[in-house]
Amino acid sequence: MTTTTTAASSPRLLRWMLLRRLRDGVVVLLLVVTVIFFLAHVVGNPALVFAPVDATDEHIAELHRQFGLDRPVLVRYFEYLGGLIQLDFGESTWQQRPAIDAVVEALPSTIILTVVGLAAAAAAGVIPGVVAGARARKPFDKASNLASVTALSVPNFWLGLLLILLFGVQLGWLPTSGRFETASIVLPAATLGIVHGGRIFQLVRSATFEEMSKPYVTVARSKGLTEWSILRRHVLRNTGVTTATIVGWEYVRMWGGAVFAIEYVFAWPGIGLLTIDAAHRQDFFVLQAAVIIAGAFVIFSNLLIDLGYQFIDRRIAAS
Amino acid sequence: MSLPLLEVDDLHVTFNTASGPVHAVDGVSFTMESGDSLGVVGESGSGKSVTARALLRLFAITDDVRIAGSVRFDGVDLLRIDERKLRDVRGGQIGMIFQDPLTSLNPLMAVGEQIAESLRLHRGMGRSEAAAEAVELLGRVGIADPERRATELPNSFSGGMRQRVMISLAIACRPRLLIADEPTTALDVTVQAEILLLLDELRRSEQMALMLITHDFGVVAATCEDVQVMYAGRLVEKASMVHLFDRANHPYTEGLLRLVPRFEDAHTGRLHPIAGQPPITGGGGSSCAFAPRCSHAFDRCRSEVPPEVAVGPQHLSACWLAAERAKDATEAGRPWKRDP
Repeated sequence: MTTTTTAASSPRLLRWMLLRRLRDGVVVLLLVVTVIFFLAHVVGNPALVFAPVDATDEHIAELHRQFGLDRPVLVRYFEYLGGLIQLDFGESTWQQRPAIDAVVEALPSTIILTVVGLAAAAAAGVIPGVVAGARARKPFDKASNLASVTALSVPNFWLGLLLILLFGVQLGWLPTSGRFETASIVLPAATLGIVHGGRIFQLVRSATFEEMSKPYVTVARSKGLTEWSILRRHVLRNTGVTTATIVGWEYVRMWGGAVFAIEYVFAWPGIGLLTIDAAHRQDFFVLQAAVIIAGAFVIFSNLLIDLGYQFIDRRIAAS
Repeated sequence: MSLPLLEVDDLHVTFNTASGPVHAVDGVSFTMESGDSLGVVGESGSGKSVTARALLRLFAITDDVRIAGSVRFDGVDLLRIDERKLRDVRGGQIGMIFQDPLTSLNPLMAVGEQIAESLRLHRGMGRSEAAAEAVELLGRVGIADPERRATELPNSFSGGMRQRVMISLAIACRPRLLIADEPTTALDVTVQAEILLLLDELRRSEQMALMLITHDFGVVAATCEDVQVMYAGRLVEKASMVHLFDRANHPYTEGLLRLVPRFEDAHTGRLHPIAGQPPITGGGGSSCAFAPRCSHAFDRCRSEVPPEVAVGPQHLSACWLAAERAKDATEAGRPWKRDP
C-alpha cells in the first residue's frame, strides 16, 4: 500500500504530527493571502468599478479615501493582516457589510453541494471500480473504463452546460439555476459526481487490481474460497483505507476547482459563485475572505483524512 | 489395482502473451501414490511452478492460459470439473504452500482467522471450534504460545514463522496431497532445514503425499524419495533420489548436479556452469530443448523430440543418447548397462 503520510505510532507522535500540520497550514494560508492580496491590489481598483460611469475625478478620489485606497499598499497589507489576527476580514465594498458575513452565508450551500456531489461520485466510482478491478480485462472492465476516462476528460463546466441543455431545456425535467427548490441540487451534484466519480473509479480500480494480484490472494484461492469471498473478506479489507483516502482527496480536490466552475454554471449561491462575483466586482475583502475560508477548509479536510488514516489502519497503529 | 492418487497425463500449459504463445509446460506426465514424496527440480522458467499451479488451475484472472491433457486426482480429472467442485479440492484435498511467506498471508487478518477460514469452509466447523483448531494447528507446526499468536497479524511473525503458519494453513483440512512451491527459497539456511524437517514429519504423520518444487537439489535430497527434473517445460529425467545422485543419466541433470558446490572442490574454487541459457519461450519445439547447450548432442537431438527411455529400475531419461544406447544394448542381446 502506498501512503504519503508518515505513520504516527504513539499519541505523542500523533500530537506532534498535528502541531506540525497546523503550522504548515498557517504558513500556506499566509502565502495564499499574500498572493491574493497583492494580485488584487495591483491589478484592480474597486473604486473604478463602484463609481457611476459619469463620476468626476473628485468623486473617485472620495471613494478611494472611503475604501482606504489612498494609502500605500504595504501599509494596507499589514493592516489587513493585523485585522485577520483578530478575525476581522474587512468590509465588503459592494455589499456594505463585513466580508466574512457574505462568506458564512454562502458556505452552507457549498458544503451541501460538495457533500451530495461526493456521495454521487463515490457511488459512481467505488462500486464499479471494485468490480472492474476484480474482473480486470473482462467486458465490464473495458466498458466502465472507457466511460470513466470519458467522464474525467470532459471539462466540468461544459458537462454542466450539456446537462442543462438536455435535462433543463430539452426535457424540462429539472431546474437549471439557483437554489430555490430541492431538485435544484440534482444537476450540479450530478455534474460533480460524473467528473469526480470518473477519477475515483480509476484509482479504486487500479488499487483493487493491484491487490488482486498479490500472492495472498492466490493463497486464498488455493484454500478454495470463491472469488466473491476473496474480494469481500480479503481484498476489500486491504483496499478499504486506500479507498477512503481516495474519496477524501477527491473531496478536497472538489473544493480546489470544480465547485467554482459548477456553481457559476448553475448559479448555485455558494462560495464559488461568491468568489467569482467578488472578483468581477473587485470586492477584494470578500474575495480574500472566501479564498481564506476555502483554503482553511481544504487544509482542515486534509488533516482529517490523515488522522482518519492513522486510526483506520490497524497495522500503522500497531507497528 | 487401485488408482494412483495423482495421475498427470500429457499436461500442456500455454500462455498467450503479447509477444506470442509461451509453452510453459509441454507434455508432462507423472503419477504419485499416497504417502509419496516427489521433488520437482529445474531452473527458473522450466515450468515446474506452472505445472503445480495447473493441477489446481490456480492462475490469475488476467492470465490468458490454455491447459490441455488430464490431471486425475483420485480418479477425477481436475481439469474437467466445474469451479465449485474444484474449490472443494483446493484446500480440502490438495493443500499448497508458496515461495514467499512474507506476502502469502493477508496482512490485515489475524493468522488464526486465516487458518480458521479454511476449516470452516471445508470441515464445516463453527466459529469457535475452528478458532480452537487453528490454535491447535499452530502449536503442531511449532509456534510457541499459539493461543496468543493466533490473534496476531502476520507482521508480528518472522519469515520462518510465517512459513510455519502457511504450512499449518495448508494442512488444516488434512489434504491428501501437499504441494510446496519453493517453500524455503526465501528463508535462511537454518530456518530452511527446520521447515524441511517439519514438512517431512507432517508427511509421515498425516500420510500425505508431498510434491516439492525447488531449484535446489539439496532441498530434494533432504525431503524426497523420488525426483524428476524439468527443462523447458518437459520432464527430462525421473528417478529415485538415491539413484539419481549416483547415476544421473541426462546430460542436463549431470550438469545440474555438477553445479552443487562441493566441499572437496573448495580448493580449486571453481564452479561448473552449464554453458548457454534456457529458452525463454518454453518448449513446444520439435527437438530436444537442451540440445543447443548439450556437449553430447548429435543430429537426431536437433530434429526429433527424445522419448522417455527406461535406463534403470524406475529410472526414465528423455535423451537420444540413452535411447541409442538402450537400442544397441537390446540388439546385442544383453540387458542395458550404463557405461562406467
